Amino acid sequence: MLRNLSLRSLRITRALTHCNYATNVPVTTALEGWPAKLKAAGIEDTEFNIKCIVSHVLNRKFNTVPDSLAQLNFNPTQLADFERFLEARCARMPLQHIIGEWDFMDITLKTAPTVFIPRPETEEFVRLVIENYKDAKHVNMLEVGCGSGAMSLSMLHTLPQVVSTAIERSKAATVLAAENAKLLGLEGRFSVHNHTMEEDKYMPEELKDQKYDLIISNPPYVKTDEFQYLHPEVVVYENLNALDGGSDGLRVARLVFELACCHLHPGGQLWLELGNEHPPLVKTIMNLKYEGRLKFLSSYYDQYKRERFVQIERV
Amino acid sequence: MLVRKLLSIRFAPVVRRWASTDPLSLQNTKMQAYLESLRQEYYVLRVNAAGNSKLYERLAQLEGVVTALEQRRVLERNITSAKDLELEKDEEMRELMQEENKVYADLLAKQEHTLLRELLTLADDEAYPALIFGLNAGAGGQEAMLFAQELYEMYTGYFDHMGWEYEEFARETTDIGGLRHASLMVSGDDVFSWLRYEAGVHRVQRVPATEKNGRMHTSTASITVIPRPADVQVHIAEKDLKIETKRASGAGGQHVNTTDSAVRIVHLPSGLAVEAQSERSQLKNRELAMKRLRARLVQQQLESVEASKLATKKAQQGSLNRNEKIRTFNFVQDRITDHRIQGGTLHNLEGFLKGGEQLSGLIEKLQLEHRKDRLKDLLEAWQPPQEASNQS
Repeated sequence: MLRNLSLRSLRITRALTHCNYATNVPVTTALEGWPAKLKAAGIEDTEFNIKCIVSHVLNRKFNTVPDSLAQLNFNPTQLADFERFLEARCARMPLQHIIGEWDFMDITLKTAPTVFIPRPETEEFVRLVIENYKDAKHVNMLEVGCGSGAMSLSMLHTLPQVVSTAIERSKAATVLAAENAKLLGLEGRFSVHNHTMEEDKYMPEELKDQKYDLIISNPPYVKTDEFQYLHPEVVVYENLNALDGGSDGLRVARLVFELACCHLHPGGQLWLELGNEHPPLVKTIMNLKYEGRLKFLSSYYDQYKRERFVQIERV
Repeated sequence: MLVRKLLSIRFAPVVRRWASTDPLSLQNTKMQAYLESLRQEYYVLRVNAAGNSKLYERLAQLEGVVTALEQRRVLERNITSAKDLELEKDEEMRELMQEENKVYADLLAKQEHTLLRELLTLADDEAYPALIFGLNAGAGGQEAMLFAQELYEMYTGYFDHMGWEYEEFARETTDIGGLRHASLMVSGDDVFSWLRYEAGVHRVQRVPATEKNGRMHTSTASITVIPRPADVQVHIAEKDLKIETKRASGAGGQHVNTTDSAVRIVHLPSGLAVEAQSERSQLKNRELAMKRLRARLVQQQLESVEASKLATKKAQQGSLNRNEKIRTFNFVQDRITDHRIQGGTLHNLEGFLKGGEQLSGLIEKLQLEHRKDRLKDLLEAWQPPQEASNQS
């Protein structure tokens, strides 16, 4: 491995010194050896990872970079960045943190260390919610735990009749969500409040009398004893507050149920993205504990055919 | 005898008028009868068309021809006949008349040109709101693929130039910048009447960039144009789809952070498989793949319809220009030649390959040629209404 590395750097240095006027290195040359190294570090889908990093280093839009990476060149600065980023990726830093941005549905979001990165399943979740509300006249929406702002902002981007308020416990995420809203020109319909939900203090003081037509949330739902199985990208680099759902994964969801009782208009809906085994459990909880207040309407499957999304109505 | 000879010289133009053998001449008897029938159809429609959009469409089509025809008749009436000229005793007056006639004759010639143009436009057959434009590299390996890429750029440039919308649903490129195959859906009011003439084999003659010994090569690329009728719809049922991503099975959601964005969709009834991986967002790739699948299914459907239509047409007409070479791009001589028409040679390849006015100009010539043929066929098949009713 070491020999391999020094050989490569030798080749590159030689390439650099060989012709002073053209110090560019073809991308295909620069990435020799890296796919194997990434694989050894436990990263699947190496081609995609490399293409993401290449397009980021070259400051080009992802969909304009050819899959073959042919006829692309790095200058020495870019080459140094490229190698640094790939080292970070081998150390399992999430790809989305390395390149500092990620696409979610139709929008591109800035990412920041410790702020939860939205998953492809969440796109499917938002698509379902949009499908349900696309014909509504006006929607006053609340998002509980907005993270980078992905769900709210992609909804606002698609549906002009939606106005969204968000609460978020992490200061870093609150700042990032506001920044993303501004970057997307959606700050006029989006506000985010730094607040940690607690029993009997579900909403910040300034919002305590507000009622909403729709509440969406992707609350932490990983069970505490599942943490040992998580990927390094998740355990080491993501904020565990955004993941830890307590012993049954529904600790935070239960707080959201209470919040929904107080802050939804009658007929308003609560949509949640949860874990695999949760929807039947939520149905039972609704029937036993919330009769006359909340009603379980339906559950939905994600794109991998896992039953994970629930739709609840305020009675 | 002398008088007769004199007379025949004087009346020569008139005689030629009525005896013309060119079926597209406005002096042709059948043509005159045809024009008159169009005029009558127009006035009948004006009375009866109310509320019927199909009839209105026909009315609008006829309007140009009828207006031109009536203006022409007015002009004709203004021309003093040869007989009147002869009867006129006053020499000065006669000269004046002759001068006037010359002016009217010029106007008449112009008007006839307009009328013919309108008539030719009317002869254009079916219009389609969209078409599928396919481009395939042919014989000639890498060089053929480079040429296909140049054609691809020319045509997409041309679509922009004409203000048409297009959507690409398949494209396969090579590492050195060539193109194996591309399929695009092009939509716009008159796309078909312009692009239909581009279908066929296009040939290139040049010393390719890939050639080491400086030899000239001949390579080809072929273009297909399949019209898309307004009513083609494909229904895709959710249950017929198998959507695949790279993510391995497992808990998913917050538990993992894999960035699986590539999507592959298999349409089970047809066995068609489409992939999309050009976006970072999985949902975007899925939408893209669905779009491609829909377009592929439409294409499949159109091709089967078109294939049966073509088979009958082929039986009736013989050759179809499908596999014939229609145009040559000769780089050495900086020349483009269209083999289907007289005077189909142009120069300035670079300008032509931009897909702007030059391409438009060539297509216009092809259009005219095609419309003339159509009109001839139309006239040949056409029967004056009263004769038709006598026969039945």
